[in-house]
Amino acid sequence: MLELSGIHIEAAGRVLVQNLSARVAPGEVLALMGDSGSGKTSLLAYLCGTLAPGLTGRGDVRLFGLPIQTLPTARRRVGILFQDDLLFPHLSVQDNLLFALPAAPGVSRGQRLLKAHAALAEAGLEGYGERLPHTLSGGQRARVSVLRALLAEPRAVLLDEPFSRLDAALRGRFRAFVFEHIRAQAIPAVLVTHDPQDVPAGARCIQLTPEAEHA
Amino acid sequence: MNPWTHGQRGARVGSWLLWVPALLFALPLIGSLLLGLAGAMDGPAWRLLLADSQLWPGLGLSLWVGSASVMLSLLVTLWLVAHLHGTALWRRVQRALGALLALPHAAFAVGLSLLLMPSGLPVRVLALVSGWSSPPDVASVQDRFGLALIAGLVLKEVPFLLWNVVALSQRAGHAAQLERQLQIGASLGYAASSMWWRVLWPQLLPHLALPLLAVWAYSLTVVDMALVLGPTRPPTLAVLAWGWLLDADALVNRQGASAALLLTVLTFGGALMATALWRVSRPAWLRRSVLGDRAPLRGPSAAARWLVKVAAGVYAAVLALLVFTSFVGVWSFPSLWPQLWSGEAWSAVSHSVPTVRLTALLALSSASSGLVVAVVWLENTPARWDARAAPWVFAPMLVPGVLLVAGLYRLTLWLGIDGRFAGLWLAHGLFTAPYALVALAPAYRGFDIRYQQTAHALGRTHAAFLWRIKWPMLFAPIAAAFAVAFAVSVTQYLSTQFVGAGRYATLTTEALTLASGGQRSAVAAFALLQALLPALVFAAALWVGRRQARRSGELHA
Repeated sequence: MLELSGIHIEAAGRVLVQNLSARVAPGEVLALMGDSGSGKTSLLAYLCGTLAPGLTGRGDVRLFGLPIQTLPTARRRVGILFQDDLLFPHLSVQDNLLFALPAAPGVSRGQRLLKAHAALAEAGLEGYGERLPHTLSGGQRARVSVLRALLAEPRAVLLDEPFSRLDAALRGRFRAFVFEHIRAQAIPAVLVTHDPQDVPAGARCIQLTPEAEHA
Repeated sequence: MNPWTHGQRGARVGSWLLWVPALLFALPLIGSLLLGLAGAMDGPAWRLLLADSQLWPGLGLSLWVGSASVMLSLLVTLWLVAHLHGTALWRRVQRALGALLALPHAAFAVGLSLLLMPSGLPVRVLALVSGWSSPPDVASVQDRFGLALIAGLVLKEVPFLLWNVVALSQRAGHAAQLERQLQIGASLGYAASSMWWRVLWPQLLPHLALPLLAVWAYSLTVVDMALVLGPTRPPTLAVLAWGWLLDADALVNRQGASAALLLTVLTFGGALMATALWRVSRPAWLRRSVLGDRAPLRGPSAAARWLVKVAAGVYAAVLALLVFTSFVGVWSFPSLWPQLWSGEAWSAVSHSVPTVRLTALLALSSASSGLVVAVVWLENTPARWDARAAPWVFAPMLVPGVLLVAGLYRLTLWLGIDGRFAGLWLAHGLFTAPYALVALAPAYRGFDIRYQQTAHALGRTHAAFLWRIKWPMLFAPIAAAFAVAFAVSVTQYLSTQFVGAGRYATLTTEALTLASGGQRSAVAAFALLQALLPALVFAAALWVGRRQARRSGELHA
């Protein structure tokens, strides 16, 4: 369960997000809609702890009961997907996944590799492990970036317009891929977008406007 | 493709004439290299060199100093960036880099030797506790293992490498990508420093190859710093070669040229080995970086902060000691304060107005010609040619100075301008032009072509566009490039001494000549002046650049 209460973000006296509260259950998607400049990306930055200098935010963020708003990003266990896939260009596809996959005592490289390959196979990318990211299509890279974010075992995931760079044909399929994986992992997700079509059926939707907000 | 080409015709007709400056740079460079190489191909000289008992110890020392300096500089750079990036201290370090780079190597070496020497201020403080009545009999400068030299090199080269990292990370597109990758890493549970070691450095290191090669070449073959800080019995191979080149005996001269060639081979051989090492170790590095273990998160590294503060203290102490020592008259050990102050060193300086005048004149003329070469090149060639020109541009920075000046001297002999101002101007021009080009290229190549199209569409000539639009708009970077070239000329030692046949004294040659004597206050005064002259020009360039920017409203935007 991801609980936001009384989130307030402002930049140089201009209020971007005012008193926003919401609860997102595991496997559920909360969609934040709004035009550019409505503060939706700042809200995501606040949730993952990367608020740009010059912006100030306050309000409680609890992830499965644990307050995370004061933790550094690397300790929050909140995954994030951007518009761009941001795969590390010098690492092969499987190394990108291995980088995310946490080490565990007694687990060998071979076992971790099996896990990465299983994830690739399940995403229809069998045999792509050794390839470098730039040799994949945009849609394939997008899927790898989802696998990478989820293999790190996050307890929530943030989606920052992850579909906007893909063309219409890919978009629908990739959307289904993402939401299916989020449901399977049973973690809360927050999606920001300006396209109503991106919002999955049954998701709760909040319209953000810069002046005021409600839950 | 370009609808505006008709507007450039006027420029193109005369443009072959504009190649003259580029050729004036390239021909002497090629000539010097060939003559330097030819001078080193002499059987008897090689036999003499190989039989010289100082060769192998000197060679070993050079390899040790060169490799220890470059590796230590690299490690410190990687470590500092990994632990400081994104902090307020890092932003302050970035702002200080320019001043550190502008500090001449020779002046810094003199200041560092004043700090480290057995009768230096820190040892006197120690003596308070230990009760020494005379300076300890330890060679803390010019030590047998070259440690003082390595320290001096690392302190000078780390700012250079850091500056390159900053330039690299600010390159268009890189900055945002770095930030995003750090963010992704954090969302996957990695500390920022882990991200640097595991993901960012493997991507960025290949881009640092050229600066690293420059550091390696410099550390392996440096003469001026080694004369002040390096061991003497035996000295490094570069200092040996330099001594042989200055010898009155022609055969010994050729032995020096052979040693210079040997250093050249070592420079490029070492670079090849480093490349091979990188190729071999890269897979292991990448394998290690995807193990998936997360290092425990710690705050910003206290050790890195501490190191930066200590280094800042050393730089400040070096400058302060230069000022302090230049006024010292009598200062017996172990007093913390001189018994007698004296203005003698500065009155000696005031008598050497001709030296200052020559230094400034030489720097003004060779920086001007270097700037002309750079501008002509940038104006008349497409950006993709820069890669082709790179070997020539970087040759004066990478080929050991001892080899280049040996060839340069033979060239000036042939041209009949050895030991004359024209010869010195030519010699300095070989160094000022490439530095001016490297300093100016990013801004010049980044100039928005649409201004040119607009000017031509308004019916103005190309000359009017250059004089009224482009060069005024690029005034700040042009002034900065001039200042860099000026500093390069002021700090020239080998070429001034050798091509000038010892007949021309500049601030740098004076400081280094005095350094081998005992007159500490005079050395300090000349070293300070050597640092001051370029600093004044840098400050002036910054000031006029700012004024220009303010006038065109850039600073208000």
